[in-house]
Amino acid sequence: MAFKIASSPHVSTTLHTNKVMQRVALCLIPGILAQVYFFGMGTLVQILIAVLTCLSAEAAIMKLRNKSIKNALSDNSALVTGILIAIAIPPLTPWWMTVIGCGFAMVIVKHLYGGLGNNIFNPAMAAYVLLLVSFPVQMTNWVAPAELAANQVGIVAAFAHIFEFTSAGLDHFRIAVDGHTMATPLDTFKTDLSMGMTSSESLQRNVFDGMTGVGWFWINLAYLAGGLIMLKLNVIRWHISTGILLAIFVCSGFGFLLNPDTHASPMLHLFSGGTMLCAFFIATDPVTAATSTRGRLLFGAIIGVLVFVIRTYGGYPDAVAFAVLLANMCAPFIDYYIRPRSYGHRAGN
Amino acid sequence: MLTLLEQIDKGTLWHSPGGIHPPQLKSLSNQSAAKRLTPAGQYRVPLPQVGDCARLSIKVGEQVKQGQQLTDGEGFMYLPVHSPVSGHVIDISLQSSNHASGLPTLTCIIEADGLNQTIDYQESALVELSNQQILDKIKQAGIAGMGGATFPSHIKLNPASEIDLVIINGVECEPYITSDDVLMRENALEIFKGIQIINQLLTPQRIVVAIEDNKPEATLAMQQCLARFDDLTSIVKITVIPTKYPSGGEKQLIQIITGREVPTGSIPAQQGVVVHNVGTAYAIQDAVLHGKPLIERLVTLTGEQVTQPGNYWIAIGTSVEYALQQVGFNADRNQKVIIGGPMMGYALPDYDVPVLKGTNCILTPSANEIAPDVEEKACIRCGECAVVCPALLLPQQLFWHAKAEEYDKAASFNLKDCIECGCCSFVCPSDIPLVEYYRVAKSALKNEAEEKQQAEQAKIRFEARLKRLEDEKLAREEKSRLAAEKRKAAANASSNKNTVAEAMARVAAKKLAAEQESKQDKPATDKSAAVKAAIERAKAKKLANQSTISNTPDENASTDNLPAVNDKKAQIAAAVARAKAKKLAQNKATLSENDTASAQNEPVDDKKAKIAAAVARAKAKKLAQKQAESASDMDAANSQVLSSEDQFSQEQAPQVQAQSEIGTGTDSDVSEPLDDKKAKIAAAVARAKAKKLAQKQAESAADMDIQSSPVQSSQEQSSQGQAPQVHTEIGTGTESDVSKPLDDKKAKIAAAVARAKAKKLAQKAAESENKTDVESDDRINADALISPAQTETSALPVTPSNVSEPVDDKKARIAAAVAKAKAKKLANKQKLSEKE
Repeated sequence: MAFKIASSPHVSTTLHTNKVMQRVALCLIPGILAQVYFFGMGTLVQILIAVLTCLSAEAAIMKLRNKSIKNALSDNSALVTGILIAIAIPPLTPWWMTVIGCGFAMVIVKHLYGGLGNNIFNPAMAAYVLLLVSFPVQMTNWVAPAELAANQVGIVAAFAHIFEFTSAGLDHFRIAVDGHTMATPLDTFKTDLSMGMTSSESLQRNVFDGMTGVGWFWINLAYLAGGLIMLKLNVIRWHISTGILLAIFVCSGFGFLLNPDTHASPMLHLFSGGTMLCAFFIATDPVTAATSTRGRLLFGAIIGVLVFVIRTYGGYPDAVAFAVLLANMCAPFIDYYIRPRSYGHRAGN
Repeated sequence: MLTLLEQIDKGTLWHSPGGIHPPQLKSLSNQSAAKRLTPAGQYRVPLPQVGDCARLSIKVGEQVKQGQQLTDGEGFMYLPVHSPVSGHVIDISLQSSNHASGLPTLTCIIEADGLNQTIDYQESALVELSNQQILDKIKQAGIAGMGGATFPSHIKLNPASEIDLVIINGVECEPYITSDDVLMRENALEIFKGIQIINQLLTPQRIVVAIEDNKPEATLAMQQCLARFDDLTSIVKITVIPTKYPSGGEKQLIQIITGREVPTGSIPAQQGVVVHNVGTAYAIQDAVLHGKPLIERLVTLTGEQVTQPGNYWIAIGTSVEYALQQVGFNADRNQKVIIGGPMMGYALPDYDVPVLKGTNCILTPSANEIAPDVEEKACIRCGECAVVCPALLLPQQLFWHAKAEEYDKAASFNLKDCIECGCCSFVCPSDIPLVEYYRVAKSALKNEAEEKQQAEQAKIRFEARLKRLEDEKLAREEKSRLAAEKRKAAANASSNKNTVAEAMARVAAKKLAAEQESKQDKPATDKSAAVKAAIERAKAKKLANQSTISNTPDENASTDNLPAVNDKKAQIAAAVARAKAKKLAQNKATLSENDTASAQNEPVDDKKAKIAAAVARAKAKKLAQKQAESASDMDAANSQVLSSEDQFSQEQAPQVQAQSEIGTGTDSDVSEPLDDKKAKIAAAVARAKAKKLAQKQAESAADMDIQSSPVQSSQEQSSQGQAPQVHTEIGTGTESDVSKPLDDKKAKIAAAVARAKAKKLAQKAAESENKTDVESDDRINADALISPAQTETSALPVTPSNVSEPVDDKKARIAAAVAKAKAKKLANKQKLSEKE
């Protein structure tokens, strides 16, 4: 009687890629909720647009590549990419920008490089950078936090603004919101320093609550919480996140100690902009990161240092996307040169 | 800083990197005591070593007792195989093997007769035995590592280096398997007796019995039992280690117990550590104290598809199918039958295969336990595989390169250090069968290395050929230059006709001498022979032009050849040749030597040789015609040269082939018996030829000249009727090279026999003592021709470099003796054919 044959091992874990991605998406929820709380419903609308675009772009590409659409969509990787793009861009970004960003991320950054597992650059961050350099005005106009805004951005207003409805009935929603877009805290800080203000003077502005930006602190804290859950669930390993946060802390700490007037505090760096989102959800994308443990620490450290350098000395207020893409370029070399010592080998072999 | 021994005594455990915690599922099979399976009616014992380093010691139809040895042999890795049952051998044939491939292997099928006859199991006490006796007993019992690797235990128990630490492996980290667990619970006493024996052999400073913490019952049983061994309590320590797969791997266990790693490419014994399985300790005890060979073992039969899972004592050779039927196996759709555990075990394509020494578990999982194969998805480089790898490799990089078939790059990531534990595949979120990729890559690398080695050999051979051709060319140029000089000198010298005539005669003699020389040197190294052949060819041409060219330069040309040849050999050859030249003048029957020679060449079971023989015969016929036509002896000699050249080149083929066969170590051809029938025919032909020669020689006058040749002594001892009998020193030149590996003792015996034979023959040959020179020539050539045959029949491995090595005196003497023995064999054959 003939039996089924297979190569050992015959058992495996049940934590498959789709589950990993699903958990990543679920762990984003606290951060998303915080973002919605502070910046309105725009984020949810963006998530809807981005996820739909990403899934359909992936399906189209899989169709063109003659591969199973079901397999590709069920791994949930497009879902995660869509959510990440949606929460990275300003909540009231016009829909066509989101679509361009997601299409670019899926088609060019991911599938033109060979699809899942083969892309060199983080699709979400590549899309963000594309939009940032193409539409700098829209990409730097963030919604004013709820505390500072006269009225909260509701779901109707968000739709009206994002889809640019021009009918008379909806216009007042748009106008109401338009009056309440403003620069992000990091942007404000940077502009103030360039205008000759000291950091303490800048922190007196209403976007700051003394230490960090209004609302941003809580959003970052929520992403940190989500990240810790992922660590606990073994969805990610600690090396990259630790590398990033440590590097940012050390660099900004040195800068702040040397010259507090022209440097942001480590607190501002760690809890502003996309720091926590990057540290736990973006840089930890395994496909584009280094793979060995020491390599990952280095990979994280490179991102951390770049974030500090670009934020402090560069032309852009936040630097997460650039830092991640630059570190992505380094990943293959890190993997090549940083190899663990194998069992039975002396160090260096 | 504590020493290692202090640390071990303290119970310090070290961390072993990586590892996983798969579901244990051991309670399925360890809830009941070990049982004995109802004996099967038929047993199949694989004999994989037969034809390699073992011989069959039984025949089909023979009665065997339980425990009777089925093979014997020698060699480092040889391990005897025993009959598990009293019965008779009903077949020895190729049967599908208990292996992932299911490829057939030579198997002895034994039908039980129910008589329960056993060999005499000799009980002995440990104190009475020397270490060598113990090792012999272990080897004779056929004990191999019972953990699954089945490495011969006696080798591990007799290491070259000093052993400080012995680890008795009771870890059993694979899920499902409980045979070691149950063995420790029920047979702790026997295991410790085995440990006592291991202790006596290796005298380590400490013996650590390592058991995972998921086997508290086994640990308790072992601890209680240890208290009864006063001599062991100070040495043996029972260490409980945390449950983690693959802690039971040899290298991992050593790391956990000692904190040391086994350097890549070396074995634990070089670090002073030896690891033995508890099952091996049990088997050693059985073999040494009770004289029982390894014919049964404890096997875990488990999985949801059997109704009575548990541990069973099963005779080796029992069919897996039979064993499973006994425990209520019910095959599911897409059923897998796994030998070993779910992590490292292999799935059987067919379960009608025998249980082997290393079969510790037969697992029949249901679809719930082991999910059907899922499709491989893209690697997301999550690196989980690197986290769990106990060998600290980067599995995702290995996979990347293995999939792209960049095997050299995979090798640079230390692919060879992969122990194929399966942790990486286990954790892979994309269901990539990583281990399978590594296996493919490993075997591709192995093939690559072998091909590279072969290419290197071919290169060496090619370069040698180029050099040989170059040497030949240089020799030719040098010769023609000298010849031209001589011609000039001769033109200037006086034209005394008498001198010319004398010179002519001398030239003729020397030419013949050179020609014979080439014949006798045929078996010598390829290179020098080929050079000579080329020279001969040139000379033959010159001879053909003799009448038109002045004689004096030719004479010089022939003398110029001599320095190229080994001095001693040359002298011998020259002497023989001189004798032959004279003989030729008297007797044209020389051409029959070609026939005789080729006839004797036939026993070589070789197509090429046959073709060569046929061509040689044709040549001989042609020669005969030519000689009939030619009036002068010179002409005859001339054609003789040509024919011998042709023959020579044809002979080279089989000889070279024989060398290459030996070089590559494939022994099927080498050990193949010569075709008896052909040999007999050949012998008969040879005999007929010899008789004819004898008649002719009776007519011819005795030629005393040959007495001066070094060949003489052996010639004297020979008789006319047995052409291939005599081997001259020259003739055996190559034989000695080829048969060099024969040990002295054998050679001496052979020589003695041959001498006795020779004396007898000498008496017979008394009448024709002085007329045998033609015969001797025949024999020389016959020997030369036989030598390839002998090369092939020699089962001993000879590298090509050995064949071309110069022969020193001692070797030559041994070779002569061997040759004599060979002659005796041939004579026997002839006698047989005479009787018929």
